[in-house]
Amino acid sequence: MPEVAFTTEMQLPRDTVWAFVSDMNNWAPFLTGYQKHEIIDGTDSLWTLKGEVGILSRRVELRAHVTEWEAPQRVCFTLTGINEAVEGGGSLVIRRATPTALAPAIPRSPWQRLLSALGRVLFRLLHGGGAAAGEGAALPPRSAGGEGVALEFTLRMDAGGPAGPLVNAMLGPALEPAVEDLAKKIAAHLERQPAR
Amino acid sequence: MFFKSRRRYGLEVDVLVIGSGGPGLMAAIAAHDAGARVAVVEKTARVGGTTAVSGGVLWVPNNHHMPEVAIADSREEALAYTRRLADGRSDDRLIERFLDTAPAMIRYLEERTPLRFKAIARYPDYHPEFEGGKLGGRSLDPGLFDTNELGAWKDKLRRSAVFGATAMSVTEATEWGVFSKPLGLPFKLLAERYKKGLVCYGAALVGGLLKALLDRKIEPMLSVRGREILMEDDRVVGLRAEQGGQELFIRAKKGVILASGGFEWNKELAAQFLGGVVTHPNSPPSNDGDGLKMAMSLGADLANMSEAWWCPSVVIPGEEYDGRPLSRGDFAVRSLPHSIIVNRKGQRFVNEAHNYNDMMKPFFTFDPVSYERPNLPAYLIVDQSFRDRYMLMTLLPGQPSPPWLPQADTLEELARTIGVDAAGLAATVQRFNPFAREGVDRDFRRGESAYDHFYGDPDNRPNPNLGPLDKPPFYALEVFPGSIGTKGGPRVNLDAEVLRVDGTPLHGLYAAGNVMAGVTGPGYPGAGSTIGTGMTFGFLAARHAAGQKGS
Repeated sequence: MPEVAFTTEMQLPRDTVWAFVSDMNNWAPFLTGYQKHEIIDGTDSLWTLKGEVGILSRRVELRAHVTEWEAPQRVCFTLTGINEAVEGGGSLVIRRATPTALAPAIPRSPWQRLLSALGRVLFRLLHGGGAAAGEGAALPPRSAGGEGVALEFTLRMDAGGPAGPLVNAMLGPALEPAVEDLAKKIAAHLERQPAR
Repeated sequence: MFFKSRRRYGLEVDVLVIGSGGPGLMAAIAAHDAGARVAVVEKTARVGGTTAVSGGVLWVPNNHHMPEVAIADSREEALAYTRRLADGRSDDRLIERFLDTAPAMIRYLEERTPLRFKAIARYPDYHPEFEGGKLGGRSLDPGLFDTNELGAWKDKLRRSAVFGATAMSVTEATEWGVFSKPLGLPFKLLAERYKKGLVCYGAALVGGLLKALLDRKIEPMLSVRGREILMEDDRVVGLRAEQGGQELFIRAKKGVILASGGFEWNKELAAQFLGGVVTHPNSPPSNDGDGLKMAMSLGADLANMSEAWWCPSVVIPGEEYDGRPLSRGDFAVRSLPHSIIVNRKGQRFVNEAHNYNDMMKPFFTFDPVSYERPNLPAYLIVDQSFRDRYMLMTLLPGQPSPPWLPQADTLEELARTIGVDAAGLAATVQRFNPFAREGVDRDFRRGESAYDHFYGDPDNRPNPNLGPLDKPPFYALEVFPGSIGTKGGPRVNLDAEVLRVDGTPLHGLYAAGNVMAGVTGPGYPGAGSTIGTGMTFGFLAARHAAGQKGS
């Protein structure tokens, strides 16, 4: 059974990250191959993804069911294929990161830091003294004192039936970049939001 | 002359090959070995063209592997058979040239490249009962290829959306019964092969050719699209191409070899030249007729323009390849028992198990009175006995039926669901079922030829291709007119030089593969005829071009 995990770190308060990831509408478009999703109720949703399975691009429909919801740190879910014989699940965990783990993912030069600071000042001036805009408007403030979190995704998928071993062999290489990509996009999105 | 001196060539070689399918790579290897400096340009970002998504088999009569499977052959038999299928619509001298050169080309490949072939003992010619036809041995299997051999080029090898993940040789697929005994397939072994990077069929053939090319320090130039063949003093001297939005001029001192594939994805050209309606090509969408248009603009003579390598095709909604909806060729499913193909009146109109090229032709039947094609749309109808035993495109026995497969408890209800005449379908099945039980199709002779049996169920009695449709529910799948490639294009001479309308060669321009006028006319002699003839003329083109003095 292919199972992958990926962790990314952010210099943001846990509540900020939780506020974003706990609403799937925020990050759904970041999923590789995302086509659409539909929320059925508080625990169930239907997803349509266009996945690269092997060489072929294929539309996969899945039902996601939340099995654990522990705000503001943990969600577990199961996945059931609707048009394909696949089952799976995973979790999303937000942990407080250790200080040493909070080094920026990409080293920034003094020039980059200066430009970034200037950008933030300019943004505040243009938006009336700090009112954030767009998707970031509902977010709690950026951590000021070096507080940070580690966002950990795990995902496992298992193809059933006699061809399961072969399908799993194809799924494995596809899952890892998808999970990594999702985590990185969420982190990049949140990091881009202006601090208030 | 003023313009000639102003043109700035970004690259100068002796022989330039346009296209990286089997014929193009064969030409590049042979031209290099004959002492030429060679470049290969490929329009897409991957190497392999139509060959890479094909079965990868070469049809080579009288090849040196046939004695290994105890099958005798001769030039005379092969010539009689191929001429019959060409139906007087090809130049006999070209057929002879193919038959005389192809076996030598196979020896050449085995001596100078990593490729090794095996005659497929049980793969019959497509009309094995015709004079000179064989029950096996002429189709050569390239086996498996380890893509790790390609180093950094591993991921640049094109793979089939259909065969790309199941690394089994054609010989293995035959022995294992891919379609008739799908639950017996060694899926764990296939998974291991996939993880190791092994590929089969067309990708294996192209993999071996690409390795041979890389060993010769020639790297194909990817994402380079040929736009215009350049002429000077009545001779071809190079190519104007596009690369990343920039113009690139390549000088080819001894020749340009067109090996750029067919025009089946070009709707205008297909409408203009093909008698039938080809709506669902199975090839890479890049086969847009570039080579044909470039040759036409120089006044090349054309032949065989109304022909293609036809193939009935099926679409599974949501599947895409290279950003376009994928059409899967139905090579085998329609040959299995408990299935028929019907038209909108619910009537059978063809031997469903016949070879994919020839069985497509009745799909295009034209009714002059109603001024329509009565056999379109067409549907494959199967019953639960079929679903219990056989592979239906991507569906294994026991898998739940997906929304793209309409089903109903009665034939009448199924017919109404798909818009087919219900009484007609019921009457057709009522007539067909006794034939199936008896093992003799008195209407269309399905299951009579050894070719039909090849894709049937050998354990089904009394006929490997016939079984009644009597176990509900019943299922329907639309069958579209498709093609694995066109086979009309510039006419060539015995050295693969492109000819003008007056019969004189366009010096320096060659053609090989689906871009050129097919050697077999409307016929499809056996598995691998496309690649076998294409690579042979690539081989001939390269040797002739490399031997030129040069411009």
